[in-house]
Amino acid sequence: MIELIESEAAPVLARPYFQGAQTSPIVASLAHVPEVLEVAMPFIGLVLGPSAIDARTKELVILRTSALLECEYCVASHTVVALDSGVAASEARALRGGDVSAAFPDAREAALLHWVDAVAAGVGGVAPAAGDTLAGHFSEPEIVELTLLCAATMMLNRYCTALRLPTGHGTLSRLAAEGFA
Amino acid sequence: MSVAAAIGEGRIGPRLWMYANYHCNLRCSYCLTESGPGVARRHLGRGAMIERALEARELGFTGLGITGGEPFLVDDMPERLAELAQILPVVVLSNGTLFRGRRLAALDPLRGLPVEVQISLDSAEPDENDEMRGPENFAKVVAAIPELLARGIGVRIATTLNDPDAYPQAAMDRLCALHRGLGVSDDHHVVRPIVRRGRAATGDMGVVAGFDELEPELTLTVDGAFATPFGPTVRDGRLDTDLLISRTTAPVAFPAALLARAAGAHAPGSDARLGIR
Repeated sequence: MIELIESEAAPVLARPYFQGAQTSPIVASLAHVPEVLEVAMPFIGLVLGPSAIDARTKELVILRTSALLECEYCVASHTVVALDSGVAASEARALRGGDVSAAFPDAREAALLHWVDAVAAGVGGVAPAAGDTLAGHFSEPEIVELTLLCAATMMLNRYCTALRLPTGHGTLSRLAAEGFA
Repeated sequence: MSVAAAIGEGRIGPRLWMYANYHCNLRCSYCLTESGPGVARRHLGRGAMIERALEARELGFTGLGITGGEPFLVDDMPERLAELAQILPVVVLSNGTLFRGRRLAALDPLRGLPVEVQISLDSAEPDENDEMRGPENFAKVVAAIPELLARGIGVRIATTLNDPDAYPQAAMDRLCALHRGLGVSDDHHVVRPIVRRGRAATGDMGVVAGFDELEPELTLTVDGAFATPFGPTVRDGRLDTDLLISRTTAPVAFPAALLARAAGAHAPGSDARLGIR
């Protein structure tokens, strides 16, 4: 839908975010507006990347949210990241559209996924019960961060879907090797 | 680093450039912007130019540069220049072929104002000049320069060569004798290489120059802010983005601060800039 900017055409301030052939299409598209890229990528990196919350927990949120919003790019990319973050293949399949209640018996993770389903799959208000359950397992700072993670993922889901960003060959190969269609 | 400090230390140029338009009555073989009669005009509005000039003065810029396209194809360009010159001294780049009749008379309000017209003239030999710039270009330019000077409008001449170092000294001497004879002094004559961008890149001409080789000079266009007036180039109909600073051009403080930061990565005097102006 839009041209992805190649490394040699990267605007001056966008260059630090380019990594040759490994440059993500999110970077290569945002580079059309470098002043937005400069703000968005650190934000995305902090909210979706390493932080006070462990990587597995964050990837549960990201992959589940992306599956609910049917973002092909994000589901594919974050299936790989989730697998690398300690999520089992069976768990990843459940997050991508299977039965999460059976795949995640741990009460803490179940509460989190219930919260994600309420936030990402609904419109209007979020059922208070989902928040109450979450609060039994997570601190307020964690709830803030995880909710922002879900919301930021939704933003990226719609961005990547609307602009039809392509999934990289490396990701597709890895998914095939792991048995994901 | 503040914009004023960046200008004061020479990290970014003191002149704010604005692309008034992209269309042109000529189709020069080395044109950076692939300008020509049929291209989209992509005007920068008069109000926007005045606003940006006022902001630039507040930020510490000390001059304005207006380019295109051919700026004088914009109908109210003389009036714009008169307004801009009340804010900061102006250099306007032109191919010099339109200054006849009504368009020449329209320049009268510029008399005595700090406005200089920089006109391209690439050779003292009409055929050699016109090969790059189009039929009758030489004759129109040498006719226009005395007319402008007679109206009290300053004239600079810019000579753009594929390889200035290889240009025969005798030919350069003839060119300098020509511009002196037309009333343009040596300090108002600049010689620079063709920059291998736009149509010059397509034609395999000139020197490769990117951010590290060009002087940072904030340049505003309808498409965004660029790091140098050599930035908003067009190749095969597509705008180059490698020297794009931001799509946001207003207030000028925004792209100016970004450029100052980018330029701040270079210690003054430690770079490989080509000094192309």
